[in-house]
Amino acid sequence: MSEPPMDRRGFLKGALGLGALAATGGTLAACAPGTPGGPGAQPSKLAKPTASAASAKGEITIWNRSGDLFKVFDAAIAKFREAYPNVTVNHQAVDIDAKLANTLISGTDVPDGSFWDDAKIGGQAEHLYDLTDLIAPYREQTSPYKLSVNTVEGKIYGVPWDLDPGLLWYREDILESAGIDPASLATYDDLLTAARTIKEQDPKTRPIHLDKSPFLGQLWLEMLANQQGTSLTDAQGRLRLDSAEYRRVFAWIQTAVKDGLVTHAPYLEPADVNTLESGQQVFVPWAIWWSFAPQQLLKATKGKWRAAPLPAWTPGGPRSGAMGGSSFVIPAKAKNPELAWLLYEFLCFKEPGYTAVYGPNSVYPGGLSTSIPSYQPALDPAKPLFQPIEALGGQDLWKVAVDAAATIPAAAPIPWWWAQSVDYLGNNVQRLMEGKMAPDDVIAESAQKIQRNLIDRS
Amino acid sequence: MASRNRRDRFRVPPSPYLFIAPFFVVFAAFGIYPLIYALQLSFMRWRGAGEAHWVGLGNYLYLLTSPDFWASLGNSAVMWLLIVPIQVIAGLGGAVLLANAKLRLRGLFRVAFIAPFVTPLVAMAQVWIVAFDQDYGLVNHVLNLVGLPDVGWLTSTAWSKPTLALLFLWKTTGFAIIILLAGLQAVPGGVYEAAALDGASRTRQFWSITVPLVRRSMAFLVVVQTLAVFQMFAEPFVVTEGGPYGSTTTAGLYLYDHITASDLGTGAANSFLLVLLVFGLSLVSVRLLRPKDEAS
Repeated sequence: MSEPPMDRRGFLKGALGLGALAATGGTLAACAPGTPGGPGAQPSKLAKPTASAASAKGEITIWNRSGDLFKVFDAAIAKFREAYPNVTVNHQAVDIDAKLANTLISGTDVPDGSFWDDAKIGGQAEHLYDLTDLIAPYREQTSPYKLSVNTVEGKIYGVPWDLDPGLLWYREDILESAGIDPASLATYDDLLTAARTIKEQDPKTRPIHLDKSPFLGQLWLEMLANQQGTSLTDAQGRLRLDSAEYRRVFAWIQTAVKDGLVTHAPYLEPADVNTLESGQQVFVPWAIWWSFAPQQLLKATKGKWRAAPLPAWTPGGPRSGAMGGSSFVIPAKAKNPELAWLLYEFLCFKEPGYTAVYGPNSVYPGGLSTSIPSYQPALDPAKPLFQPIEALGGQDLWKVAVDAAATIPAAAPIPWWWAQSVDYLGNNVQRLMEGKMAPDDVIAESAQKIQRNLIDRS
Repeated sequence: MASRNRRDRFRVPPSPYLFIAPFFVVFAAFGIYPLIYALQLSFMRWRGAGEAHWVGLGNYLYLLTSPDFWASLGNSAVMWLLIVPIQVIAGLGGAVLLANAKLRLRGLFRVAFIAPFVTPLVAMAQVWIVAFDQDYGLVNHVLNLVGLPDVGWLTSTAWSKPTLALLFLWKTTGFAIIILLAGLQAVPGGVYEAAALDGASRTRQFWSITVPLVRRSMAFLVVVQTLAVFQMFAEPFVVTEGGPYGSTTTAGLYLYDHITASDLGTGAANSFLLVLLVFGLSLVSVRLLRPKDEAS
């Protein structure tokens, strides 16, 4: 007698259940490494290598972003190898945002060192070497901002690399025809006044750029907050969005929007480029890396753009804030962390190293001008690492950037959840820019959601 | 003698078990174990490193009281409404078209329907981004040619879901056609011949023969696509990143957001809530579309 066939309905129900479970829960679980409840990776302190340049020996794997910057670092690493001839550097172009965090957590195929956004470091500090002692000799001469964003509970986990000062980019020809002296743009109120003057002369203009990306919009907001000496959280991780500084920025945005003074466009996408080229946009308060636009993207207005320090929020206040930035990290499970440190020390703190990165090279014949070093001895106005820029009418961007960077206030460590907060704060800032939300509502709603969904669940 | 026979029945040679063992080992390692692990994780707070803390139903309670969780389900529900009914109708229409032996260029139609299904989604998503860009997209360009204003297809909360639904429909309707065509081809031709002899019109044949006899295929399609819509991830991830303002953050993408935030316990809890939801929806779909002969 044969076995009775399985009940069809029962089979279908079972299959549905298993299929659904496998499709959702199973997929998730497959991604989760380690054992809950097991011991986590403990922060390790890296000691100063004892080997000299001649005796240092071994091979390291270093991750970097792909693209032009990879080629620049490739050339700089070649300089390092001249100084450390027995160290082989396996320099790899990797999608760091996608891979590094997973690799650190799983501990598999961990590189000896990696480039990383400052905003990501705080969240993975327990997987990184504590570099406090190694940075100590350079501490006094490193940008306070970069030290602060690399510091978690008093320990430094990243080798501070670039500094990205905010600048005011403007169309010199349009200001000249409107009779506006760029030097008169000392405060953000002055900027609004200048924008109104330009709009009176040409009603079609919407002179001030506001970015239409929640992420970049929030990064920009943090630049303006940093300029006032504050940031989303304090050193203890407490939210400080409900403050006079943020309220001041939001009120300014609201006024600019209400007066029709803004172009709300996504960063350097075609719509943005068109309005930059047509003269609709005249002012772009943005990080130094906007210098890419006149050098590479803007054809019709190349040579007409200039850079100035940001206006101050209060008369005499700081004229710049940091917008973005990256550092180098050494994973706690690196095989040759000492050699990775020697490489990063060379690139960040030794003249041949930072000169190789920022100075003229085969990729950027005039030098790398999208950021400046965070190590202050590298910021000698008399020894510019990159040359005056033709696309800025021959302006000496180095001097403008170095002067602006000197005013950047220190900050608090960037909380690990910063990127997730874009879903709340970044989105609400966009609503403010669209005139759909008031400053107080942005603050109240964003703070409530960040507190509940991110801080309380840390 | 009888007891000896009973012993022999249990004395099965080990070779069959050895031959099928690899499957069960792999299934246990990559199916069962992760499932149990994820269930355990859903009761913990763990960020991918360090010590995990038992929080009981905390993650579930957090999600069930979270407006964002319900908003993600709402987004998926709207996507389901925009996709599944249309896909069943369009799929059935396409299947009937392809089942028609008199159709010319049938091979060409088959390729046209199936090509999007076998094309990598990310490539199609890039086409979508370019075509529906508000400022320089082809679709708005065509609208402007006929005097209509730009539409924020991917940048306005009103249009973002329909635009993504259209991408999903374009991508997967070929699959729906395959399923329904298989169902159609299983219908005996004699049934139609008998109906024709009885004087039934084509329309009558469609409603009285075709639709009832492909109901099982339709039920299967609805269940599979319900699963797919509630797990929809790649489309919003690539095209809109869940925006604008979370309007395309589907249940699948919201789950992923927990993973990227290293909030793995909440992500696991979210996945099990989705399991329950999808399981319930699937049962309802199966019951509603069950052929009448099985319903009693």
